[in-house]
Amino acid sequence: MLCEKCGKNHATTHIKTVVNGIVREYNLCSTCAAQSGYGSNSITGMLASMLGDMTPQAVKNQKCCSVCGATFSDIAHSGKMGCGECYKTFNDEILPYLKRVHGATRHVGKIPNRAPLVVKPKEKTVEDLRQELARMVAEEKYEQAATLRDKIKEMEGK
Amino acid sequence: MSRWYLEQSAQNDIAVSCRIRLARNIEGLPFPNRMTADDRRELNSRVKEAVLNSNTPFAKNLKYINMCDIPEIQRYAMVERHIISPEFAAKTEDAAIILSDDESISIMIGEEDHLRIQVILAGMEFKKAYDIAESVDMLLCDALHFAFDENLGYLTECPTNLGTGLRASVMLHLPALENSGEINGLIESVSKIGFTVRGMYGEGSKSLASLYQVSNQITLGISENNALENLKIIASQLIEKEHGARQQLDKIKLEDVCWRALGTLQNARILSSEEMVNLISRVKLGIGMGIINKECLPIKILIEAQPFMLMQANGTMDATDRDIYRANMVREALL
Repeated sequence: MLCEKCGKNHATTHIKTVVNGIVREYNLCSTCAAQSGYGSNSITGMLASMLGDMTPQAVKNQKCCSVCGATFSDIAHSGKMGCGECYKTFNDEILPYLKRVHGATRHVGKIPNRAPLVVKPKEKTVEDLRQELARMVAEEKYEQAATLRDKIKEMEGK
Repeated sequence: MSRWYLEQSAQNDIAVSCRIRLARNIEGLPFPNRMTADDRRELNSRVKEAVLNSNTPFAKNLKYINMCDIPEIQRYAMVERHIISPEFAAKTEDAAIILSDDESISIMIGEEDHLRIQVILAGMEFKKAYDIAESVDMLLCDALHFAFDENLGYLTECPTNLGTGLRASVMLHLPALENSGEINGLIESVSKIGFTVRGMYGEGSKSLASLYQVSNQITLGISENNALENLKIIASQLIEKEHGARQQLDKIKLEDVCWRALGTLQNARILSSEEMVNLISRVKLGIGMGIINKECLPIKILIEAQPFMLMQANGTMDATDRDIYRANMVREALL
């Protein structure tokens, strides 16, 4: 089958679009497909086509990365992840893309030789303790609540 | 060891150079597209400290350079020597590079990833280049925590580099395959099995001087060794095909083309960059085929006669003056 756009090359990309409920199908060669943003290596094209499935409302309410604040539309438009955490936040969205680009979703190469990173627990603030205190009172755990109350007093006294 | 383009020999007649690039990011810092100026400064100082404070003999050959301290001409001359990307040359604010004395090792800081460790060597020395890149990786890994996920490997800004973060490439001189037109079919079949073929200066650029850069595309689900092994096989096949195509060339026509190219280069008084590149490619073919018996390094001339390299050596010039300088320089090199 020849490409519907240029009529010269073999059509290798089959594209199906649904716009306002109207289904259209195209058969394009790789060059014309890439020009239309459907190139198999065009990350933005591929991610943006996934974004196209979302309603404007869904785009507005979408989740964002807790570390860098990137949303999936940011990533789809730029083709760039915001930080390492984005891979966890958008794992479900990104996996089908990885499968298409790399044909795999699991790393089999080198593993860095390093000591595990020791994460220091964040010091609790007075506000954190107050919330905990309220929860303990609500749960009728008065003994723990009293300990917390003393701790808050002590911290406020400092 | 000297710069890659000065080390050309009969062994690397077709495989001109090879390059290993590792993409690495530091845990806890946003990727470059979301970094603030403070983040960039933090990144630079952490990398600088990691390299300069490591007491390995290896680190003694590495220099830390702020990109804003280098004039524009020198930055673009680095692009022409394949040390940095054109995108990186355009950035100056808070951008830095770590470079070895012989320029075989370069680490771009704050390009598309926090670190782009690059090793470039003459010929098809993948193993040697990878070993060097790995030792740089180990040196930095001790001091900086790289973003790594046990399922996804090294985390990179663009998911196309995810996993090993390894992009290996080889630059091949393929004039006979280009002449026969076979190159187009080969580029297409190579791209179907996970490799990319590009022109000399990377993405989207038309091939100059029949020089093609072949690189691996897949970085996830494949080990570094396998990726390198596969690329080596592909490159060896292309080299074999080029040898085959060279044997099919009409002997007298080939001799005519090569000698005419040398004649023009030895006599021209005005030489544009494009003309120089095309003629050097023919002289290189002539030397490789044993037609021209001349002690010269075509790739050295090709690199040193690039616009910014010329201006780095001789000061700022307009295009007309450059073409005159280029003609003089090439004539002297081919005396």
